[in-house]
Amino acid sequence: MFETIFVDAANWLRNLLISINLSPFVVEVFLHVVKMVVILVFVLLNVMWLVYMERKVSARFQCRVGPDRNGPYGLAQIFNDVAKLISKEMILPTHVNKKMYLLAPILIFAPPMAILAVTPMGEGMAAVDLNLGLYYFVAIAGINTVVVWMAGWSSNNKYSLVGGMRAVAQMVSYEIPLLLALVGVIVLTGTLNLNGIVDAQKSAWLIFTQPLAFFIYFIAAMAEANRAPFDLVEGESEIISGPYTEYSGMGFAFFFLAEYANLLVMAIMTTTLFLGGWLAPFGWTFIPSWLWFIIKVYFVIWVVMWMRWTFPRIRIDHLMNLAWKFLVPLAIANIFVTGLAKYFIGI
Amino acid sequence: MDLRQEVYTLNLGPQHPSTHGVFRVLLTLDGETVVDATSVPGYLHRGIEKIVEDRTYAQVIPYTDRLDYLAGMLMNWGYVLAVEKLAGIEVPERAEYIRVIVGELSRIASHQIAVGSMASDLGGLTGFIYNFRDREYILDLLEMLSGSRMTFSFMRIGGVASDITDEFIGKTREFIDYFPKNGIEEYNNFITGNEIFQARSKNIAVVSREKALDMSLSGPVLRASGVAHDLRKVRPYSVYPHFDFDVPVGENGDSFDRYYLHILEMEQSLRIIEQALDNLPDGPIMAKVSRNFKPPVGEAYAEVESSKGILGVYVVSDGTTKPYRVHFRRPSFINLGHFDEMIKGWKIADVIAVLASLDIVLGEVDC
Amino acid sequence: MYGKGLLKGLKVSLGWFLRKNVTENYPDEMPNLPDAFHGNPIFDYDKCIACNLCVTACPNRVITLETETVAKKKVVTAYNFNMQYCLFCGFCQEACRPGAIRFGKDFELTKYKREDIKIKFVKPEQVEKKKQEVLQAAAEKEAAQKAAEAAEKSEAKATEKPKAKAVKKPAEAGAATPNNNMEES
Repeated sequence: MFETIFVDAANWLRNLLISINLSPFVVEVFLHVVKMVVILVFVLLNVMWLVYMERKVSARFQCRVGPDRNGPYGLAQIFNDVAKLISKEMILPTHVNKKMYLLAPILIFAPPMAILAVTPMGEGMAAVDLNLGLYYFVAIAGINTVVVWMAGWSSNNKYSLVGGMRAVAQMVSYEIPLLLALVGVIVLTGTLNLNGIVDAQKSAWLIFTQPLAFFIYFIAAMAEANRAPFDLVEGESEIISGPYTEYSGMGFAFFFLAEYANLLVMAIMTTTLFLGGWLAPFGWTFIPSWLWFIIKVYFVIWVVMWMRWTFPRIRIDHLMNLAWKFLVPLAIANIFVTGLAKYFIGI
Repeated sequence: MDLRQEVYTLNLGPQHPSTHGVFRVLLTLDGETVVDATSVPGYLHRGIEKIVEDRTYAQVIPYTDRLDYLAGMLMNWGYVLAVEKLAGIEVPERAEYIRVIVGELSRIASHQIAVGSMASDLGGLTGFIYNFRDREYILDLLEMLSGSRMTFSFMRIGGVASDITDEFIGKTREFIDYFPKNGIEEYNNFITGNEIFQARSKNIAVVSREKALDMSLSGPVLRASGVAHDLRKVRPYSVYPHFDFDVPVGENGDSFDRYYLHILEMEQSLRIIEQALDNLPDGPIMAKVSRNFKPPVGEAYAEVESSKGILGVYVVSDGTTKPYRVHFRRPSFINLGHFDEMIKGWKIADVIAVLASLDIVLGEVDC
Repeated sequence: MYGKGLLKGLKVSLGWFLRKNVTENYPDEMPNLPDAFHGNPIFDYDKCIACNLCVTACPNRVITLETETVAKKKVVTAYNFNMQYCLFCGFCQEACRPGAIRFGKDFELTKYKREDIKIKFVKPEQVEKKKQEVLQAAAEKEAAQKAAEAAEKSEAKATEKPKAKAVKKPAEAGAATPNNNMEES
């Protein structure tokens, strides 16, 4: 019953709109708007939850309790955090490039939202079933760099500038091993459609058939999402807060929340591409597909947090070496091996 | 195409998350690489040396706590040793043993901060918290004796403030059992063994043996460069000749050695405490010192091996109840003198790592 | 193998993730403080003998003590503890033989108003009460002395000598534990 709850809801809405004699085009437009709003709400709720989760999880790793004063288990802390950030004044320093400085926090949410539009969150539950889904994902993910660089440059602060430079260097470099790792996935599945990729994992998840690609993708995606040990862009013990140093109030809140939105996107993409998306493991289909998807996503997020609260930060030149001298050759080798396997064994 | 390139200045601190307080460095950077550096200490200067000229000899003790507030006991010790030398006071043996016990406990606590802050400055905050977790045991122990957790004011001219109890001895022995397995081993697994940590600290900011001696470095920073110079062995004071312990020495003089020596020294401190507890003599804990204490006219200089290096205290007496002049040779300050040279050619991230490996305390640097 | 250290680190942090927290749940669960703890200053008016030792022992001049001489006896009229300058070194506690000033275990010393930080321990009614007591004691003593004198005149002079000694000895010993001396004599 719960399996198709969201799909049924969409169909019911469509039928309802058709029954009041709206033209099919208007119905489709309206449905898409509804889907976008649902995704927006989904992202915001998850991001707020992730802020709380990070605090709780980090507390557990550090033998602490974490927030527990507000509400049961400190859950009201989420609202307090958000309310605090929203209600604070956003200071506009005199020396900043105003247009870019104000535009950056607005744009920072666009890439994660745009990516989530194409990801299937359950069986038949992609807002837009795009044929070039994977291609689209890689293209949109790259835009993030521009926004971070905008913030870093327009702040007219040296810490921000260094952070922005790091962001560009890091994200551009890691785009390449990420892409090359995904080539292995494409070779095996033979499709760029994210739904198709999930379907292709019905026999075996790609993490088992493409372990090396998963390894490379995971590292590169962590670097893309600016998670420790690759959080050089923020590098709070070195460059205060990187590109976000000058931001306060709502502007900072957007960057702060966008970081978690990026983490969410990264986890969702990892789940879709390598962990079988909404597919149920061991044939446990009594749990609905969208719930399986959420469980997997949160497991990935937990692993990422685990790593963040364990490892120290890597240095910028080591980071570059890792990308260009280690991950890229490894990814190319992976493509080669995958190609050979595909040719000779024909998986 | 020719791109115009230029170096730029970055003002790191005094308000910065990882300058260990209010330390300021003016960095000239080429991209991320440090070309030139000027350190500007002095933002925590409270004029302690001047304040204590207007205090009686006993009243100076709480001020010495505020020098290196992470190892208050050792700071107390340096001062009372100098005054005792000046006035020729014989300290009872039991008091000396108690001083060794609390001093070494304080040293472990201070080294834990050094280890933890090294981890946190490299971005791994959890290592810092693990160190604080175990440091809590020591603070509880010292609180039991002195009533304070950091600014102990425990030592007195001619002895110590209170005798140690059986409860303290029992709890200290518990700590000695607990710490190597659950503390040191965990730091080694969690921080020292981590490859990222090693990549960030090995062969960074190497200080050669000659340079270390030239710059008058002391403490773990000097020993990391391969000089086995520990006052407790070289010029023993108090009852240190009674104890059997080693002086760990580094090989390369890099950040990693400076960091790792702290862990090795914790192990040695535990050995000393254990021996001191086993051989604790009976007797008084205070020598006879009159309330209206007036040392003879003269001057005295005494040194102790504090957790950061050689703490020297120079006291001049003019025969009144107040010292004419007190000067502290603060190891952090002198170790910091080589910092500008050390960080040249390294990245911004290394500046923080090297500063953490020097293990400075701003209360002591600025005095 | 490269990466072994990383895995070991992950194992350590996972171990703590699964264990219970080691922190104290502070406001719900108050810390177990030792007796030696230097918390809030506590002043016992009746024990104070106005010897001024705590004032001279204090490194930061936190304590001010005002006295008034009533019937040749010092009565404490004010004992002010300016807590904002207190170093919590415990020197006053150590200097005080009768135990009039000591430190309690309350460490939540923040005050709402700045003037509340300067603690005034002595209340006017306490001083009045003490003054009356001293005056009364002096009057009683005088009366007793007169009675004694009258009695002594009638009796032999030999009884007078040991009494004078007993009064003299504690005065010589000065600050060093008057109680013991009394017992010895």
